[in-house]
Amino acid sequence: MSAPAPGNQPIEVFQPPLLARERARPVRVESVDRTLLQPVSGRPPLSDYLGHVWQRRHFIWADARAHVLGGTSGNLLGTAWLVINPVLDGAVYYVIFALLLRANRGIDNFLGYLIIGVFLFQFTTQCLTQGARSVVAGRQLIRSFAFPRAALPVAAVVRQTISFVPVLLVMVTLIAAIPPVEPVTWRWVLVPGALALQMMLNLGLALLAARAVSAFPDLTHLISVFTRFWLYGSAVFFSYERFIDHPVLLEVVQLNPMFIVLDITRDSLLYGVTPSAQSWRVLAAWSVALLVAGTVYFWRGEESYGSA
Amino acid sequence: MAPPNAPRSGIQVAVDDIHVRYRTPSSDSEVRRTASRPARVLNRLLGREPTVVVRALAGISLVARAGEAIGIVGLNGSGKSTLLRIIAGLEKPLRGQVLAATRPVLLGVNAALLPELTGQQNVRLGCLAMGMNPTQAADAYRDIVELAGIGTAIHHPMKTYSSGMSARLKFAIAAAANPRILLIDEALATGDAAFRERSEERMTALRADAGCVFLVSHAAKSVEETCTRAVWLHKGRLVMDGDAYTVAQKYRWWAWNLAKGEEQKASGLLDDAFRQGFDTAVRVFPTPDAIVVPRHAR
Repeated sequence: MSAPAPGNQPIEVFQPPLLARERARPVRVESVDRTLLQPVSGRPPLSDYLGHVWQRRHFIWADARAHVLGGTSGNLLGTAWLVINPVLDGAVYYVIFALLLRANRGIDNFLGYLIIGVFLFQFTTQCLTQGARSVVAGRQLIRSFAFPRAALPVAAVVRQTISFVPVLLVMVTLIAAIPPVEPVTWRWVLVPGALALQMMLNLGLALLAARAVSAFPDLTHLISVFTRFWLYGSAVFFSYERFIDHPVLLEVVQLNPMFIVLDITRDSLLYGVTPSAQSWRVLAAWSVALLVAGTVYFWRGEESYGSA
Repeated sequence: MAPPNAPRSGIQVAVDDIHVRYRTPSSDSEVRRTASRPARVLNRLLGREPTVVVRALAGISLVARAGEAIGIVGLNGSGKSTLLRIIAGLEKPLRGQVLAATRPVLLGVNAALLPELTGQQNVRLGCLAMGMNPTQAADAYRDIVELAGIGTAIHHPMKTYSSGMSARLKFAIAAAANPRILLIDEALATGDAAFRERSEERMTALRADAGCVFLVSHAAKSVEETCTRAVWLHKGRLVMDGDAYTVAQKYRWWAWNLAKGEEQKASGLLDDAFRQGFDTAVRVFPTPDAIVVPRHAR
């Protein structure tokens, strides 16, 4: 198109036909002042972006709450299931491992060991799988409202965290109530620290997975394979010392962040052992690195989610 | 470069040469035949359909001014809804840009509200999604309920609503944000007469407030009645842009002939309409490099 004379009056120039049936049409030139208008799309700088996510915190909270409540709204007992489910899970483990099998597999307080492993590991896998689905599942929201898209994976993690609170209470109650009863030591105060690092880890994973899955939906299948592999590599049901004697492999297992989360929590709640500074350092490094990587990776894809 | 004369004031939205393409699976046997042999074998093994590129929008340019209500008419698949999503900034075009004075708000009939929640809870969620804080959302609630006018159904889960009722509630929520630029996708067609009147009042009020409204509709009649200007899209191209009555009349006459099977006549009408139309060229100034300095000075 050529429109030589700048100005605001409609002017007529001819352009070559674009398709065979289309004859030349007059062109009306409109001058637009860029200082008065802003582009409607585009990715803001990272610091602004984080600010926008923070501005939508009420939406994130309301969406997370609505999904938690919506998940049980068709049931007669409603939200009571958020508590009943983990209680039943715990009861199953109690009946099978403490009453029927009496199998401790060489582990002190195997029931406590197992409950901590299963409940905490489930929290992370739920955040990972729900976070991965969040952008694809929120496509209608993305197509209707303009908000920073990171609100969706964040809301998925918040939702899982809300559901995790009753699970955590059940876990602590079972450990305190079922023999062998473990004495409460000052080390119990370390547990919230480990959980905070675990939540950072979860959020980082959710953000990474959300963008990756929105680009390649096939990854959801690989994620479920990965979580199963991770489950066996994190000493959830068994003590790794009995199976692994290869030094390099042992090193790798001990660098696994989920293994460290479980190890710190078990040492603090069950065994009265102070977790080593080294394990805190490794876990913190994982959590910060994954959260930063997840945030930057998700933010860089901000414009791609609408057409997912 | 010396900037041209000051532009005519009141430009709210400038759509500058937008191109959109989708890659989509196609079960068309013609498409299947064009694929290479290994590609066909692979597709069959994986149970996939071959993909084709669909040109949803091919070079759309237009400018909307304060106080205008622009109806967008066209057949299904002509790119109407895509154009709205692009203007709303919800989707990224392949080429081109959209500039707007304020953030446009899109109101789609299939806007995502959560079916398990009651209307009341959805109102709150929708308000928060548009960026209100909880106090503003609570303040807006009464207005929204009044505009929607769905009575006690506001306390029932949204999955029990008729399509008309949820469309009314969604319109009311979007209007509550008091957007200066409102984009409406087929919402009014589903309301009853009483709601239509109320929503038209609201649209008039928005326009009087120096905003502008885009309305996508299959029903050229509702565009004729509620809009000041109409844009006719066909296969992602702009056929005509002008006074609502003229464009909508031509569109209806063409669509009527098409529906009656008078394809030759319809094709001639489309040609005529295209020739009577004009193209818009958007000149943005100052150019991005030229405004670097004033921006920093601010």
